[in-house]
Amino acid sequence: MSVTTSRVADALTDGRTALWALVGLLLFLLEAGAFLNFVVGLTIDGILALPGVDAAGFLTTVESAVREIPTLLSRETIPNEGYYDGSGYEGTFLGLSPAIAWALRATLVYLYAFAAFGWGVWGYRIYRRNYRAADWTPRDDVFDRFRGHKWGIFGLVIVFMFVTMAVFAPALGPTTVDQNMRNSYGYETKYWDSDSGSVETILVGDANLDSLSQGNDQNIGPWTYDDYGRFHPFGTMQDGSDLFTFLVVGSRISLVIGVLSVALSASIAATLALTSAYYKGRVDLSMVLISDAVMAMPQLLLLIMLTTVLRETWINEVYSGGFLLALIFAFTGWTYMWRSIRGPALQISEREWIDAARSFGQTPITIMRKHMLPYVTGYLLIYGSMTLGGAIISIAGLSYLGLGVAPPTPEWGRAVNLGQDYVRTGSWHISLIPGILITLVVTGFNALGDGIRDAIDPQSDSAGGETAGAGGGA
Amino acid sequence: MSDTLLEVENLRTVFHTEKETIRAVDGVSFDVERGETVGLVGESGSGKSVTARSVLGLVDEPGVIEEGSIEFCGDELVGGNWDEHRGDIAIVFQDPMNSLNPVYTVGNQIKEALRIHQGLRGQAATDAAIELLEDVGIPDAARRVTEYPHQFSGGMRQRAVIAIALACDPDLLVCDEPTTALDVTIQAQILELLDELQREEDLGVLFITHDMGVIEETTDRVNVMYAGEFVESAPVDELFDDPKHPYTKGLLASIPGRTAGDERLPTIEGEVPTSTSEPSECRFAPRCPHAFDACESVHPERIAVGDPDADHETACLLYDDEFEESPPEDGVVADGGETA
Repeated sequence: MSVTTSRVADALTDGRTALWALVGLLLFLLEAGAFLNFVVGLTIDGILALPGVDAAGFLTTVESAVREIPTLLSRETIPNEGYYDGSGYEGTFLGLSPAIAWALRATLVYLYAFAAFGWGVWGYRIYRRNYRAADWTPRDDVFDRFRGHKWGIFGLVIVFMFVTMAVFAPALGPTTVDQNMRNSYGYETKYWDSDSGSVETILVGDANLDSLSQGNDQNIGPWTYDDYGRFHPFGTMQDGSDLFTFLVVGSRISLVIGVLSVALSASIAATLALTSAYYKGRVDLSMVLISDAVMAMPQLLLLIMLTTVLRETWINEVYSGGFLLALIFAFTGWTYMWRSIRGPALQISEREWIDAARSFGQTPITIMRKHMLPYVTGYLLIYGSMTLGGAIISIAGLSYLGLGVAPPTPEWGRAVNLGQDYVRTGSWHISLIPGILITLVVTGFNALGDGIRDAIDPQSDSAGGETAGAGGGA
Repeated sequence: MSDTLLEVENLRTVFHTEKETIRAVDGVSFDVERGETVGLVGESGSGKSVTARSVLGLVDEPGVIEEGSIEFCGDELVGGNWDEHRGDIAIVFQDPMNSLNPVYTVGNQIKEALRIHQGLRGQAATDAAIELLEDVGIPDAARRVTEYPHQFSGGMRQRAVIAIALACDPDLLVCDEPTTALDVTIQAQILELLDELQREEDLGVLFITHDMGVIEETTDRVNVMYAGEFVESAPVDELFDDPKHPYTKGLLASIPGRTAGDERLPTIEGEVPTSTSEPSECRFAPRCPHAFDACESVHPERIAVGDPDADHETACLLYDDEFEESPPEDGVVADGGETA
C-alpha cells in the first residue's frame, strides 16, 4: 500500500505531527519498563499454562531482566519507605521525608496520566485538522458540545482519576498489600528508636499492632506518621494496616467488576435490542416478556442468594469472587439497559436506509451491526456510564454486608464496614474516607453519563449546560 | 421485448393491530412489463407505499401479506422467496436524506450493494462505484465517492440513491415518490435521469406518486388507488383525456392550471378512510359527489369502460348497467344530494 506509506512519511516530515509522535514516544519510554513487564508477565503466564512446556528457568531470567528496566513511576525509582537515622532520612528519594517522597510519586503518577490523556486529545485534533478526509462529521459536534459541558467535564476528571488510581495502584500506595496486609510477618521495617538513639528493626506485623486506629486512645489519623516512621496519607485501619494502600488496591476490583459487568450487560442489551427492533412483532414481544420476568426478580435478594449458594464452587475462586459478582450483575442488570436502548433502536429501524439495505439483500446481522449499532452506541455509553456507578455502589454495598468480594482482597465497602464502630471516635477516617470516595466516584460516573447524553442529543439537555437545545427538552 | 416482469394478482396486505385488522392493500392486481413504466397514484394513506413494500417483501410485522400472489419473472415471491431475487427489484425512496446512512461515505454504501450483487471488493468496487456515480450524472465522481451524504445536495443525494439501486443491476425499479422531497427543477432532472436509465437498461418501473403532473410525464399506464383498492386503471393518455371514476376526476381537477377560470382550486372533501373489513360498499361513496343509494350497499367491481382498445377499467357503479344512474356529463359539477 504505497498510499499509506507516503501518508506516514508526510506525517513525519510535518513538524507538528512529528512533535506529537516524539512526545508519544517519550511518554511511552517513561513507562516502557512497566509495559514490557506486563506483556512479558502475561506471555509467561500463557506459556506456563500450556502443558508440556518446561522453560521455567529461561522464562524467569527473561522476567527478571525485564524487571530491571527502570521505570519512572515505579516504587523503586521514587521510594518513600525509609527511616530516620538521627541526622536524616535513609532510603527515601533524595533523602526527602517519606510524606514528601510519597506525595511526589503520587503527583508524578497523576501528571503522567493527564499528560497521556492530553497527548491523546492532541493527536485526535491533529488527525481531525490535517488527516481526516471529511472536514466535518456529526461526531465533531458531539465532542465540541461535551467540551462545553462543565458537569460532564467534572465527571470525566473524577472518572479519569479513579481509573488512574486503579491502573497505577501498586505505585500509588505508600506500601504494598503484600507487605502491609497479606504477608505482614514476612517483612521487616527499620525505624529510629529515639529512646535508645539507634535504628531498630521490627516485623511489619508487629509494627501494625502498634499502629491501630481504634478510637480516641489509639489512633493514626490521616496525613500522620506512626511510631515506626511510616507515613499514612489516609491514616491506618482498625488493624493497623495502611488505609490508602487498601483503597487504591480496592479501586482495582471495583473497576474491574464494574467494567466487566457493564460490558457484559451492554452487549446482551445491545444484541437483544437490535434483534427486537429489527424483527419487531412477536420477537419483540417475547423479549419484553423475558426482560419483565428478569426485572421482576429482586436483584439484591438474588445477589445474596447466588453469592451464598455458589460460595463453595470454583467460579467463586476467580478473582476473589469478583468474576461471579460481575456475572450476576450482568445477568440481572441487562434488562434496564435493554429497555433504554430498545426505543432508539426501534426508531433507527424505521429509517429508510435499513429498508434500502434489506431491499438489496444485505443480511440481517450486517444490517444490525453496520446500519443500526452505530446509532445506539451513544446510548450504550450513557447508560453504561450510569450503570457503572450503580454497580460500584452495589459491590461496595455487598461487601459492606459481608458478601461479595472475599476478604482479604481489599474492597471499599469492607473498609466502610470495618470502620463503622469508630465513626463517632477519633478514628472516623476509616469509614468516612472510603464513603466519600464511593460517593464521589459514583457521582463522577453519573455526571459523565449526563455529559455524554447532552453531547449526543442536545435536545435532551436538562442540566442547563452551555448548549441549550432548540426547545422541547424537559 | 415485452415479457412480463412483475405480475401482482389480487394482493391483500393487512396490518394486525390490537383493535382491528387494517386492510392497507385490498385486492390489487397489476402487471409491469420490461421497459414499461406503471404509475400508482393516490392520496396519502391510500396504500401506495404498502403496495411497493409488499412487492419488495419489506412488510414488517404486524403487517402481513394475507392473500394474493406476486410473481417476478414467473417465480412466486409470496411466502418468503424474495431472497432469490434480491437485487433484481430495487427501490428508490422518497426522502434521500433518509435513505442514505449518514455515517458512511456515499461510495461505501454503493460498494456495499456492489459487493453483495457483483462480488466486487477493494479497488474494483471503488472503480465501479465511481462509474455508477458518473452514470447518474454526478460530476467529479472520483472525489464525490469519498464524501458523506451531508456533503451532497438533495438532488445529488437522490442521484446517489439511484446509483445504489443500479449497483444491484435490477430488472425492476420501484420508485416510491422519488421526487416528492425535491424542488421542481431538480424533480425534472431526476425524472429525466430515470427515463434515460430505463431506456438504457430496459428496466420495468413501478412509479408511485401523488403528483398527477409527474404521472402524466413519466408513466405508460396508471393505476389510481383509493383506500387500498384500484378504482381506475388506464393508459396514461386515456386516463387524462377521459377519466371515468369520480375520484380520478377529482384528482385531475385539483391539479392547478387544469381547470381554467375557477378562482378556487376544486378539492375532494374529507380524507381517505381506513378500511378494516370486507367491503360491502363503495369506499369512496362518502366523499363522492355522484353517490346514490346503491353505493352504500354494493361494492363495485372493476368493469371495462371507455375506448374498447385501451384496456381501461374502473370500479364505479355509475358505469354498471345494473344501476339506473348514468355518469354525469363532463364539466358539470353535479351535486351529490339530488340522487334518487
